[in-house]
Amino acid sequence: MSNYIVENLRKEIEAFKADVKTEKIGHVMEVFDGIAKVSGLSDIKSSEMVTFPAGQTGVALNLEEDAVGVIILGDFSKIKEGDEVKATGKILEIPVSDSILGRVVNAMGAPIDGKGAIKAGKTYPIEKVAPGVVTRQSVDQPVATGIKAIDAIIPVGRGQRELIIGDRQTGKTALAIDAILNQKGQNMICVYVSIGQKDSKLRKLGARLEAGGAMAYTVIVSAGASEAAAMSYIAPYTGVSIAEYFMDQGKDVLIIYDDLSKHAVAYREISLLLRRPPGREAYPGDVFYLHSRLLERACRRNAKYGGGSITAFPIIETQAGDISAYIPTNVISITDGQIFLETDLFYKGIRPAVNVGSSVSRVGSSAQIKAMKKVAGTLKLDLAQFRELEAFSQFGSDLDESTKKQLERGKRSVEVLKQLQYAPVKTEHQVVTFYALTKGYMDDVPVDKIKAFESGLIEYTERNAKVFYKEVLESKMWTEKGEEQLKKAIADFKSSFTSKS
Amino acid sequence: MAKISPKNVGEAIYRATEGKSGAGLETALKHSAQVLRDKRMLGKSEEVLSVLRDIIDKNTGTVRAKITTAKVMPLGERKKLEGEIKEKYKAQKVISEFFEKAELLGGIRVEVGDEVMDATYKNKLHQLEKFLIQEK
Repeated sequence: MSNYIVENLRKEIEAFKADVKTEKIGHVMEVFDGIAKVSGLSDIKSSEMVTFPAGQTGVALNLEEDAVGVIILGDFSKIKEGDEVKATGKILEIPVSDSILGRVVNAMGAPIDGKGAIKAGKTYPIEKVAPGVVTRQSVDQPVATGIKAIDAIIPVGRGQRELIIGDRQTGKTALAIDAILNQKGQNMICVYVSIGQKDSKLRKLGARLEAGGAMAYTVIVSAGASEAAAMSYIAPYTGVSIAEYFMDQGKDVLIIYDDLSKHAVAYREISLLLRRPPGREAYPGDVFYLHSRLLERACRRNAKYGGGSITAFPIIETQAGDISAYIPTNVISITDGQIFLETDLFYKGIRPAVNVGSSVSRVGSSAQIKAMKKVAGTLKLDLAQFRELEAFSQFGSDLDESTKKQLERGKRSVEVLKQLQYAPVKTEHQVVTFYALTKGYMDDVPVDKIKAFESGLIEYTERNAKVFYKEVLESKMWTEKGEEQLKKAIADFKSSFTSKS
Repeated sequence: MAKISPKNVGEAIYRATEGKSGAGLETALKHSAQVLRDKRMLGKSEEVLSVLRDIIDKNTGTVRAKITTAKVMPLGERKKLEGEIKEKYKAQKVISEFFEKAELLGGIRVEVGDEVMDATYKNKLHQLEKFLIQEK
């Protein structure tokens, strides 16, 4: 055994060739709060990687006349004044490979889940120019999130950037996790980037994804709350580089940035420490570019360039519902729509607490399947009218028949859109539910029994309207034959349901 | 107001003293010292001097090299090395400082400005260590 080890070591050492080359060096002038001021390094590029004697990596961010401002990625307590800093000539890059799937990595792409090393195939730079116009294609394939309110009213397409925005504790992360859970068998790779989150939350989330069988196609990139701001700053770029690795193979990727408010705060911290001039809310002047260059990397490539896509779900946390603050307005203007979650709705029991009126998807409707468009096309308008009528009806009791009908339908629509956490609904099931709702089959079902009606209906129609399901699954639209079968199944189920209750 | 860096002061002193000698040079240097005092930059005089030295080196084609070895380098080899540095940097003059550090174990390390060529055994062993522990 020992001979075998010695023999192997000897072979390894024989294969080694020492490389003597001229390197650019500098010296640490001062170190503070994860930042190092370095003299020398005259030819260094912006965002170039540097190494410190104790093995830490840094990134040159501020190129000044007589010094370079470097952010230190890792433990900076061992770096001292006078230490030699070597320029690497490379932009910060991370190792990527197919074996990264199912793993939890830090902002440098190193595993932190205790499952051993990840065999690195290639390295990808974390900063890259977004794909150009000629390589892109417009969004026309849906992302099935499994959340009825989103898939029906605010549809998201592959390659879209849809912002999830709301106050704390309104279910932003839950929405994103549900979307990941629903990607099972949908040919989608998921990347979840956790920025400045508590480790306990990440642990819980990882366990949830594991239990749902979602880790097989998911990568978690984590820059925890206890890590330096520099790690939070680079984490989303690391995430998108991993996503690009899979997109380059022609795969579709869903990436979630949870959340970009904390990312902006981390960048503000770094910028202030680097003594960059503060602007509005003390954020630096380039905070818009920080997010626009990140989100612009989400795209759908055309067939000539591999055909992959990156769909981005950035999350923004607002303070007391203020969506007109600096970072929320910035990200709203960058993305292709937003899903607005409201505290009031959440506590009213409407979960997911999506405010349908304020939420919008600018490009997703062209990606929605025909069947869904047919059944949910007017849902948004109906709900908006319902809200208006609901408020108006509180002032008087004498309402005409059509208004009463509209109110009753609205109540049922709200009930149908309610959904439990970690319970994504398949698209074909959603189509059946919305079909029953919009065709008036639920109008005489009591509101408190809508959920039971819905689950029973799906179970029944799955057995008795197979043609309809097959048509929706295969051609994304039903035929007259399928519709007839579904109508009959709904009527049969309804009569048995009403007789039972 | 723009910050005055030691580099700015060094360049200004160089321009003020360029081509002067005798009383003219003395007055220019006196004024330079007064500027440093007035701008409260006397504490940065070392940096200013270093900038001045760099400017003069650049103009006279002088290269300063720091050479570190594990053992004392024989005179003949020193001359040969200086000649090679002169050729590589196309310099008129090479000013070298020689240091001995036993911890380098062997080989040589040459530093010119912010460029370093490390061919010491210590560095090679460090590279070997990295090579052996890297994921293959």
